[in-house]
Amino acid sequence: MDDEPERTKRWEGGYERTWEVLKEDESGSLKATVEEILFQSKRRRVVESHGQVRLGMMRHLYVVVDCSRSMEDQDLKPNRLTATLKLLEGFVDEYFDQNPISQVGVITTKNKRAEKLTDLAGNPKKHITALKKAVDSACVGEPSLYNALNLAVQTLKHMPGHTSREVLIILSSLTTCDPANIYDLIKTLKGLKVRVSVIGLSAEVRVCTVLTRETGGSYHVILDESHFKELLMLHVKPPPASSSSECSLIRMGFPQHAIASVSERDARPSFSMSHLDSGTGPGLTLGGYFCPQCHAKYSELPVECKVCGLTLVSAPHLARSFHHLFPMLPFLESPVEQLQGSRFCEGCQGELRDKSAYVCPSCRGVFCVECDLFIHDSLHCCPCCIHSRAAL
Amino acid sequence: LISDLFFHITFVFCFSFCLLPLACFAEDEVNLLVIVVDVNPIWWGQQAQREPEFTLSKCLDGVMVMGNSHMALTRTNKLAVIASHCQDSHFLYPSKSLRGGGGAAEDTSCSRDGKYELLAVANSAIAEEIQNVLSKSKGNSTDTLLAGSLAKALCCILTIYSVCHPELIPCLGQVIKAAEDCALQYMNFMNVIFAAQKQNILIDACVLDSDSGLLQQACDITGGLYLKIPQKLALAQYLLWVFLPDSEQRSQLVLPPPAHVDYRAACFCHRNLIEIGYVCSVCLSIFCNFSPICTTCETAFKIQLPQMVKPKKKKLKMPA
Repeated sequence: MDDEPERTKRWEGGYERTWEVLKEDESGSLKATVEEILFQSKRRRVVESHGQVRLGMMRHLYVVVDCSRSMEDQDLKPNRLTATLKLLEGFVDEYFDQNPISQVGVITTKNKRAEKLTDLAGNPKKHITALKKAVDSACVGEPSLYNALNLAVQTLKHMPGHTSREVLIILSSLTTCDPANIYDLIKTLKGLKVRVSVIGLSAEVRVCTVLTRETGGSYHVILDESHFKELLMLHVKPPPASSSSECSLIRMGFPQHAIASVSERDARPSFSMSHLDSGTGPGLTLGGYFCPQCHAKYSELPVECKVCGLTLVSAPHLARSFHHLFPMLPFLESPVEQLQGSRFCEGCQGELRDKSAYVCPSCRGVFCVECDLFIHDSLHCCPCCIHSRAAL
Repeated sequence: LISDLFFHITFVFCFSFCLLPLACFAEDEVNLLVIVVDVNPIWWGQQAQREPEFTLSKCLDGVMVMGNSHMALTRTNKLAVIASHCQDSHFLYPSKSLRGGGGAAEDTSCSRDGKYELLAVANSAIAEEIQNVLSKSKGNSTDTLLAGSLAKALCCILTIYSVCHPELIPCLGQVIKAAEDCALQYMNFMNVIFAAQKQNILIDACVLDSDSGLLQQACDITGGLYLKIPQKLALAQYLLWVFLPDSEQRSQLVLPPPAHVDYRAACFCHRNLIEIGYVCSVCLSIFCNFSPICTTCETAFKIQLPQMVKPKKKKLKMPA
């Protein structure tokens, strides 16, 4: 069935003598090795960029959380479910920070059934409140991969072709209880271009390997909680778009923010459309965002107008995704002794203390390791390149 | 009015902004204020001819007053001043000569009028460095590099904070506007603003001459204050009254109301502000009219063709 060579397993001799990484120096101390390991872990976060690959910017992602009996295991403190939900809250925040025009939904599976915790929405608050409330739910029974995927696909198949359809499954149980043949469902998923990725909490399960391989997702099993967080954050970056996804022009509205104070004569309080769903009662507010097509009022962006169906965003939301389209080149590492000139980092004006500094390939500016991390993680532009480019 | 006694600072193209620290009055909290000042020589030269009573030296006097006040508030407060020029941004304080060796610091540390030494050192360093900067600069453009100075300031803040207290949330407010916003400048600027927002750094803007949409957005996104000063001579007064209090205290004060920010996008073809536009799903460029090919990334779009209706054959009626 599968012709791809799989990784060698532990009992086949794939992992050998992992203690040889640590080496002692003449005095018998491990200090140099430990420092090297810490330094490498700082650097590991700067990941190679994709380069000139088309990315799927508008993403519809369903997160499936396994709520079966194995989630009560206490190898992640305080138990697996609480740790998972806490990390998912951080994930949702980070996801909307990097993909402001995307949507997320949460599905839970337990007792051989699956149900939707939250629907696909672009507002992080709703998801975070739902995740917080789900901590108290009981973990019973077995999960059902088939039902969870079916539930996700029912919504995802109606999404427009230019968006990327993804499912992220967090599976801790080693079994799954399916009412029908899951391999048929995998074929359907492949046909609908849904990309499924799995993060396993216990061990590698064969059906997940096949599922992720066929649909083009990734499969990882966690080592500990920090590794879990790292794996989750890997899914925040937009994935490369499949070659068959359509590209189209999407009609969007950019509403003005009307701030009116009570003292103005023309200020009229009005209802916001977002209050139709929430049960907190009608709220009359003075200011808000008015849809340019139908003048319905909303209190937050981005949102899809319920009256006319126009997607409403603001310009900074689109600007947040620009750094994915123009990724920065990683800086070149060079030892401090070889650098001529002053021993100061160009970014923070501090002394270069580590044994190597980082040089920007285009402007040859020198940066220390913390500034390099900050530039590649958050800033996405080299402070010295900005100056030299403007002078051209 | 008190404002007559103070000097205004007006920048045609630049705005000086101050960073305000987040205030938490624990004993070991370090609050860092970074002030970025626009020192474009062309603009200041024109300003000196327009209004001779308000010059760059008076502006820097106001900045120094604010810096001194900030450092005098708490022993652990720190200050950094950056001069933003058309070619580069230089750190006026702490300056390279102070960092270079301990010997240089000893000479400048004696204050002649009994002022607190730290303030005297800061003032003299700022004065000396700005002379260096202006005498060595050769640029002749009217733009100022806003985004670059902000980026350097952010790196500086994060380094100082990670060294002293990694769990503190620094707050920084700066406002400096560059003259023309080309697309690259806009993107770098937005990147810097989002990075500041993620680190909970406030950006305040003190605008001297004309309004800047970029700075308004920066202040709105990060939660800082944007103020266009009506009287340039009163700069020190505005700095002290409006921008010196930190964010916890600002909730107790009656401050100028937030400016109305225009978040409409500009279309890539005509640079007009539009309310409804078309966004390419690949490169996120915004167009005002539908076109079959995206000009930025050159993807061809799938167009929904209307259904073709076959014309019904009409039977010819034979004339009777």
